[in-house]
Amino acid sequence: MIRLRQTGFSYLFLLPSFLLTAVLGIYPIGWAIWYMFFDYKGYGTASFVGLDNFDRLLRDTLFWDTVVNTFVYAGGKLLITIPLALVLAVILNRSFRGRSALRAIVFLPTIISSAVMAVVFYMLFNSYNGLLNQYLLKLHLIPERIDWLGPDHAMLTAIMIAVWGAIGNYMLLFLAGLQNIPQDIYESSSLDGASRWQQFWYLTVPMLGPVLQMVIMLAIINSLKGYESIMVLTDGGPIGKTEVMYLYVYKLFFPTPSASFTADQQFGYGSAVGFATAVIVGLVTIVYHLLSRRLNQLQ
Amino acid sequence: MTNMATVVQAKRPSRYLPAGRIGGKVLIGLFLLIIAALILFPLIVTGFGSLMTNAEITAGGKLIPADWQFINYKEAWVQANFSRFLWNSFFLSATSTIGTLIVASMAAYVVERMTFPGKALFVGLQAATMFISIGAVVLRPQFQLMVKLHLHTTLWGVVLILISAHAYIFFILLSFLKGLSRELDEAARIDGCSNAGIYWRILLPLLRPALGVGALFTFCGAWNEYLRPLVFTLNNPELQTLTVGLSYLRYGPTAAVQTHYMFAGACLSILPLLLAYVVANKSFMQMTAGSLKG
Repeated sequence: MIRLRQTGFSYLFLLPSFLLTAVLGIYPIGWAIWYMFFDYKGYGTASFVGLDNFDRLLRDTLFWDTVVNTFVYAGGKLLITIPLALVLAVILNRSFRGRSALRAIVFLPTIISSAVMAVVFYMLFNSYNGLLNQYLLKLHLIPERIDWLGPDHAMLTAIMIAVWGAIGNYMLLFLAGLQNIPQDIYESSSLDGASRWQQFWYLTVPMLGPVLQMVIMLAIINSLKGYESIMVLTDGGPIGKTEVMYLYVYKLFFPTPSASFTADQQFGYGSAVGFATAVIVGLVTIVYHLLSRRLNQLQ
Repeated sequence: MTNMATVVQAKRPSRYLPAGRIGGKVLIGLFLLIIAALILFPLIVTGFGSLMTNAEITAGGKLIPADWQFINYKEAWVQANFSRFLWNSFFLSATSTIGTLIVASMAAYVVERMTFPGKALFVGLQAATMFISIGAVVLRPQFQLMVKLHLHTTLWGVVLILISAHAYIFFILLSFLKGLSRELDEAARIDGCSNAGIYWRILLPLLRPALGVGALFTFCGAWNEYLRPLVFTLNNPELQTLTVGLSYLRYGPTAAVQTHYMFAGACLSILPLLLAYVVANKSFMQMTAGSLKG
């Protein structure tokens, strides 16, 4: 009897959470899995087309371009963010005056909306009346305006902005990991004559191993998924140079004026592309996982 | 004591720092200075830019405004509709924070303290929603559902969607509850307290630190949320939040003459969180570091 009452009470308390998760979290995924086998434009009737959407996906060079762009964007962001965040964490783990203020400054971008910052960075970087060019010209650091958001530099600019927003978060994660490393190994190693650099390379990095692997995993997933900032900054332009795969999916469902590849909503095909992006992210995660396990075994 | 100190000090070579060490210290200091400057630069430009005339910004090359144009805020407030955006952002963040904390804490309570069939399934379901992401696809069925419920013309639709993503807070509260002793529950039960009473009178007050961090996390997330409010207000400019309203200015036909409004709007969006951050940056940092442990 008591057991039954407990179960009833539990279900009652679980109901809001379960209902919301099922209806707004799980059902939409089911919806997408259902419609990726249909030709459905959002109006009229949906007609079953089997695997046609996936056939189209394989031949959709625009999509595969966005996959390449996604890897360039995520790779560039990681290659700058992770080493920089790690070095900052190691420095900010020592005690010196102004340490907590510096930590607070480095973490600050994490609390600011990436959409809002993209608007700010747009005003900084745009070539016509962007503030950055004007400052650089005035300081005679560049001979002429640089087209930061033009076809040649837009991706680099997007990556720099992503690094700006991400570095504090990973710095803090590394810092949490560093605080679990016992301090006495540093003392004994410096008695043995190890330099700071040797300590970093042969003590800190290996001791941080598991944390490092987890943080990098997190960073990979986050940077493959991120598209909000690019969406506001360039909307994938110019000429698709910063179009990343999740932004491509978005435009298939909510066409923007700049989405030259589709004027229509394409729910069926969009679902298939969305599914493919999830699979790609999943595959990258698995490959990374296997590689890092291999690395562990070698050590 | 004094003897010990002198011995220790004599052993440490810190008084006779070799030139290399000093050079290293200077380099590290320089590095930190550059990083801090790069991080703060866009924010400083935003702050000062919001107090310049549009002409002054466009002419460029200046950091500090010649004449502080506080009127920008007044105009952005009235003409660019930022009063409305600010209220919408606040409404969305406050309601979804309260909702998330209630829903997640109720679920965490029964999952941690009760036994019932299907518990593992529920936990698995929560974990799955955190890891599976098919991008913007889910926005469409979510939107259609809200149309059916007639919630697409209010912000409540977005609120419900934000609350539905409470898995992260659920797991934080769950791990925190695990650390709370069950003895208090038992004592309260013997005194005749009901299950709901234990949740409300005993555990929620004890959970306060975790709820605080969770609230900060959720509020920040909702305040900075862009895509969901964007999609839900495509036909409803009156419902736009600060993030959405601001991005509309950037793509609007009058963007070039409204730079100062955009800076003022960005400031309005950043300032509330910034003030909270200055007061309690330790708590903000907890929400990231906590994710490593929890």
